[in-house]
Amino acid sequence: MPGTILEVSRLKKYFSQRRGWFSPHSGEERLIPAVDDVSFYIKEKEILGLVGESGCGKTTVGRTILGLTPATSGSILFEGKEITALPPEELRALRSRMQMIFQDLDAALNPKMRVRDILSEAILLHHRLTDAEVERKTAELLEQVNLKASKLPSFPDELSGGEKRRVGIARALAVGARFLVADEPTSALDVSIQAQVVNLLLDLQKRLGLSYLFISHDLRVVELLSHKVAVMYLGKIVEIGLSESIARAPRHPYTRILWSSLVEKQSGEAFRHPHGSAAGSWGVFDFERPAAGCRFAPRCPVFEAKGRPAVCTDPSSAPQLAAAGPAHQVACHFPTE
Amino acid sequence: MRKRYVQAPGRSDEASGLRFLRKADAVDLFFVGYGLLIVVLVAASYAAGVFRLLPYDPEAVNLGLMLAPPGTAGHLLGTDFMGRDLLSRLILGIQAYFLPGLLAVAVAIVPGAALGVLAGYGAGRADRVITWFSNLVDSFPRLVLILLVVAAFKPDIYFIMVVVGLTNVPATVSLVKVKIRFLREKNFIEAAEGLGLPRRTIVLKHILWHHCRASLIIRATLGMGEAILMETSLSYLGFGVQEPTPSWGNMVQSGANYFLQGNFWPSTVPALAILLSILGFHLLGDGLNNLLERKAVH
Amino acid sequence: MSVPPLLNIENLKTYFYSKGRQAFIRSVDDVSFEIRRGETLGVVGESGSGKSVMALSVMGLVGAAPGVVAGRIGLKTDGIRKNLLQDLDDYVERVEADGRVVEVRKDVVGWQKNVERLMAMVRGKTVAMIFQNPKSSLNPFLSVGRQITEAIRLHTPCKGKAESRERALYWLERVRMDSPRLRYDNYPRALSGGMCQRAMVAMVLSCEPSFLIADEPTTGLDATIQSRIADLLAELKADLGVTTMLISHDIGIIRRLSDSVAVMYGGMVVEYGPAGKVLAAGPESGHPYTAALLASVPDERNIRGKEPLQAIPGDVPDTIHVPNGCRFYGRCVRVTAAVDKECASLLPPLSEITPGHAVRCWLYEGS
Ligand SMILES: Nc1ncnc2c1ncn2[C@@H]1O[C@H](COP(=O)(O)OP(=O)(O)OP(=O)(O)O)[C@@H](O)[C@H]1O
Ligand SMILES: Nc1ncnc2c1ncn2[C@@H]1O[C@H](COP(=O)(O)OP(=O)(O)O)[C@@H](O)[C@H]1O
Ligand code: SF4
Ligand code: SF4
Ligand SMILES: [Mg+2]
Ligand SMILES: [Mg+2]
Repeated sequence: MPGTILEVSRLKKYFSQRRGWFSPHSGEERLIPAVDDVSFYIKEKEILGLVGESGCGKTTVGRTILGLTPATSGSILFEGKEITALPPEELRALRSRMQMIFQDLDAALNPKMRVRDILSEAILLHHRLTDAEVERKTAELLEQVNLKASKLPSFPDELSGGEKRRVGIARALAVGARFLVADEPTSALDVSIQAQVVNLLLDLQKRLGLSYLFISHDLRVVELLSHKVAVMYLGKIVEIGLSESIARAPRHPYTRILWSSLVEKQSGEAFRHPHGSAAGSWGVFDFERPAAGCRFAPRCPVFEAKGRPAVCTDPSSAPQLAAAGPAHQVACHFPTE
Repeated sequence: MRKRYVQAPGRSDEASGLRFLRKADAVDLFFVGYGLLIVVLVAASYAAGVFRLLPYDPEAVNLGLMLAPPGTAGHLLGTDFMGRDLLSRLILGIQAYFLPGLLAVAVAIVPGAALGVLAGYGAGRADRVITWFSNLVDSFPRLVLILLVVAAFKPDIYFIMVVVGLTNVPATVSLVKVKIRFLREKNFIEAAEGLGLPRRTIVLKHILWHHCRASLIIRATLGMGEAILMETSLSYLGFGVQEPTPSWGNMVQSGANYFLQGNFWPSTVPALAILLSILGFHLLGDGLNNLLERKAVH
Repeated sequence: MSVPPLLNIENLKTYFYSKGRQAFIRSVDDVSFEIRRGETLGVVGESGSGKSVMALSVMGLVGAAPGVVAGRIGLKTDGIRKNLLQDLDDYVERVEADGRVVEVRKDVVGWQKNVERLMAMVRGKTVAMIFQNPKSSLNPFLSVGRQITEAIRLHTPCKGKAESRERALYWLERVRMDSPRLRYDNYPRALSGGMCQRAMVAMVLSCEPSFLIADEPTTGLDATIQSRIADLLAELKADLGVTTMLISHDIGIIRRLSDSVAVMYGGMVVEYGPAGKVLAAGPESGHPYTAALLASVPDERNIRGKEPLQAIPGDVPDTIHVPNGCRFYGRCVRVTAAVDKECASLLPPLSEITPGHAVRCWLYEGS
């Protein structure tokens, strides 16, 4: 597709419990379908928001795209090139074009390196430059992310959360990335700093023509920032569409709950009416005894309201993403009108 | 005294900041200073030995001046039972352990760190094989191993030191491995990979240089101390350097025969040299560790 | 007040020493407030304003030097009021100039021993803390279930193996962890950020503390689970009367759960009072920082119009070279000609504008 920077199709990533780093389980192998058959694309200069329950596989999607963890199956086309099976050298070269901003603010910067060294290391990675040029480039980056030059000699421990985030972003820009996976870039920050970082990301996107996969739990920020939004639930995309339609006219029951819990959390509605809450019954999903058919069925209010229709729990008819309007797809047998 | 540490003021008062550093770290600075002094003395003496810049020929027998006490004209530390100058022998004795000691350290550190990186980074099979091998090496009594080597080859100090180094490999491996495991939990290593840094840079710079150097330096200094001890013990037992070539161990041994007659210096002087230099290496490692790891407070 | 406070903090000062800049970082500078039994105190403020350090000071877990240098932390446990900073002055000598601590001598090692002694009976059982950074607070080398059962067996009467496992699973389910039985055996590495967060919450709540410090317990969780955790905290408060200090930058959750709110800025409390009053701050009432903070929450207009958010201009306050005047001076948009001189040169006192509602701002002085 012309103008498409990233195209992910039928991506799967299964983690096996046995292969866990320190897992003492040598017995049966349990597979965790962290990412299960996910497809989407991102156009040039476009921001795709990725939201979903915590643990549903958002970070894993990002890490797989960047090749930080190998995909189980599926294809990822970056700038028209298949990248799932690249040799390490080419993968490294590719990383000058795509970068990740990590969820964990504190752990992504080497605590023993000064800001200056962190940035110059990234600058020198793909270019041979003289000291003066590095200096100039560093100043330019600092200017781009609004960081004061007085922070250059600091160690990461001495920076505030917002500053650490800026260093992370500056580092991603330093290698010349055009595409960023921003994994909850604002979640560890307070609202006022959050606002600064969101504005910065928007500004950079406009000025440098970047594309983002923007992972976040803050639905308002996602709505504000993204052109399109994909909603994930337990490894699958259940709804994808323009951000306005996802936020204002959600079709999937989970999306509806997600957006209504935003209001609920603020007003405390749910607490005053614990049973009338839109959050449904909140049965706990169990990977060991996965529901057949639609994975959302155990919690789905529509499923309950319709008298538990068999089609929702029929293993052979798991709902697939289907067109539900202009540029809008939903995976549900009974999408809300 | 109760108040052990002084914290500096919060103004832009640089001088008092330095005072804080000094007081908190004074002990460590002293240790490191002493350790460095020993290292410099040993290295300089080694060089002097190589170029034979010695007061006397250390093997020249002077039967006219046997067992001269320290301070005898021309012989600062006295002479031994054959009238050989103790100072010269002491200096030349460093030859016996200096290069072998460095070899032992290199053998312990370099492959140890490399295997540690493999085990920590590679996980899975590499880790299992390396851990199994480490345990195997660890479970051999080292003295038996050394004696086996002595029996199999001639009692060559280099062979012995290679064995000493090898028996220290498991410790280095586990040190580096545990560190990497720990660091991988913090995801800046993954971030560095995501940045596109070559593995080599990540391993050498981010892991070994930034996070393992202090522990490796300590291991190296301790290893050097151990090498001195090992060489002197072997020479003392007669397995190491053979007379008339001097080594601190055979000096203590040959000097010991005259100890009870009141001629204590031929054995005490090299024994003191052993003590002070091993102490120096240990304190150097300890002090550097505290300074590098900023453990001054705890 | 009819109900005596469960916790009262008086003039707490916690400093760090920056080797890089060779000066003090005044992370918590003269903080005082109190929490009554059964009440929830919400603490909001910019990141770096000292919220976590204040919480760690209460827990006696400030590791770096010099740490706590002054103050009193009164806590009522088993009916007895204890000062958690007892004998602090025996370990610390302070040199003051211009009403500001400029030099500290502290026996850090001795103090740490003293703290361990004071806190031994308090930590875990009476006071427990949900840490901000769950990934680094969980032990990477122990399975999640093991860590929770250990906490349970240490702090509750529940000692049996099977019994504590049941409790652990119960709490994992209660914090809405999916596949609790599977997660029980997982190591933290295999969990997502939000799952670690929930495991941490489960571990702390399973100790059934009577006073809970929750440092950003919902950061990194999606909206549905956030509201579930909020429900859980509300239930604990309603059913068990758990007293909570809730640190969060999610104004929604603070608004919902807190009875009173403290707003921190640059290591100081700049506004303190009933939640309704503090969080009602409009552009013309309350502390200017609180108002600016509330204004940077994205609203309908921003979202619909895809406008940039209203961020507070300027930089976060420097806690090293603290200004003599108001710490918000320079970013504050409400400085008037009448107060400008004071704002720039004198620290405003924290004084009540209506009973129980105090603000640290010259605009409210002398009227
Ligand atoms: N290294 C790993 N080994 C085993 N399982 C893993 C590993 N990493 C992630 N998982 C599992 O994959 C699933 C998805 O994790 P992921 O980190 O992608 O979630 P997420 O959507 O980013 O959640 P959050 O919003 O909480 O960060 C989870 O069930 C998690 O337990
Ligand atoms: N161990 C430490 N050593 C030095 N400075 C610290 C340490 N812990 C926190 N700080 C500093 O204290 C200030 C307040 O931090 P914190 O309480 O974590 O902020 P927040 O309000 O976001 O929770 C920050 O400037 C931080 O850099
Ligand atoms: S397919 Fe059925 S169970 Fe699944 S979300 Fe739609 S209505 Fe609910
Ligand atoms: S004291 Fe002055 S600068 Fe500070 S908040 Fe009030 S008006 Fe603003
Ligand atoms: Mg994540
Ligand atoms: Mg904090």
